[in-house]
Amino acid sequence: MKITLVKKIKADGSPCKKCNDVIQKLEESGNINKIDEILIADERDPASDGMVLANKLSVERAPFFVVEETGKDPVVYTVYFKFVKEVLDQETSDAAAAQEILNDNPDLDFL
Amino acid sequence: MTDNKLDYIDLDTYYQEKSPAEILEYALEKFDNIAISFSGAEDVVLIDMAYKISPERVHVFSLDTGRLHSDTYQFIEKVRQHYNIEIDVMYPEAEAVQKLVREKGLFSFYQDDHKECCSIRKIAPLRRKLLTLDAWVTGQRRDQSPGTRAAIPVIQEDQAFARPGATLTKFNPLANWSSSQVWHYIRSNNVPYNELHDQGYVSIGCEPCTRAIGPNQHEREGRWWWEEATKKECGLHAVNIEQVSK
Repeated sequence: MKITLVKKIKADGSPCKKCNDVIQKLEESGNINKIDEILIADERDPASDGMVLANKLSVERAPFFVVEETGKDPVVYTVYFKFVKEVLDQETSDAAAAQEILNDNPDLDFL
Repeated sequence: MTDNKLDYIDLDTYYQEKSPAEILEYALEKFDNIAISFSGAEDVVLIDMAYKISPERVHVFSLDTGRLHSDTYQFIEKVRQHYNIEIDVMYPEAEAVQKLVREKGLFSFYQDDHKECCSIRKIAPLRRKLLTLDAWVTGQRRDQSPGTRAAIPVIQEDQAFARPGATLTKFNPLANWSSSQVWHYIRSNNVPYNELHDQGYVSIGCEPCTRAIGPNQHEREGRWWWEEATKKECGLHAVNIEQVSK
């Protein structure tokens, strides 16, 4: 299994806050060692590795994880807590997962 | 996965031109394990449309945050009786609510923002419900919030709430309808509606976070009015390099 993390550089050149948060969580939990490759999606450079991969997989947000296994289609995770639970098989907080989903999908609060 | 995405894009393109009833008809034909999310507001039109398509196929759920208006509870009950349907009311986890209230009080959303409270009272129960479904239907419309709903498809893959290894499909049949089209349908078809609408409430959510608005105010101004418009931070937007360099 190969795990790729794509993190974003925003159009103004600044780092994406959520990407930094995710990397910090990975480092604190020791899970950073399970990430095989980190690619940069630079919004100023459509040819950057992360932007090319996002385009190829039709991913519209970052950070995201791509999990590749031989003989299977790559699986994309845009929700960090979902990735941790389903791929790394670790317990996560429902409240934290719900808040991440809402942060990424602000239209949901209007339901 | 790529193939699935292409299917969704094709389907969305095709159904963009269709009416909400036609989109609903496709959804109900395609999926057995599907439910309509009902907020107790004007999304009641989805229930009415689905009922006319196939009364026995109407499965509805509502998210009771514990902070809804009394009128909304009464309206949900009225809809249940009017259509003679079951409404699966989902509740937040008591422990999570207790922890929030113990640590931050009953009105923390006025000091922080509404997201923590919404996550606990609305999103977590929604997530619990969606883990049991193959597809769901919402009343989301593009005109509800130009900032966050400008690009809502009518059919999409819902990766955020899907079960592990499964696909969840989300239908937004009203995406292309305006508020006035929704209200034209309600009045033309004698659909029951929440009485709060007669008191100037356009968008209806939890009682502390919803207010009546005046003429020409956007409905978003009736929700979380003390906060600045939410900005999307996580989208990937390629910049036109030439434009930037000029």
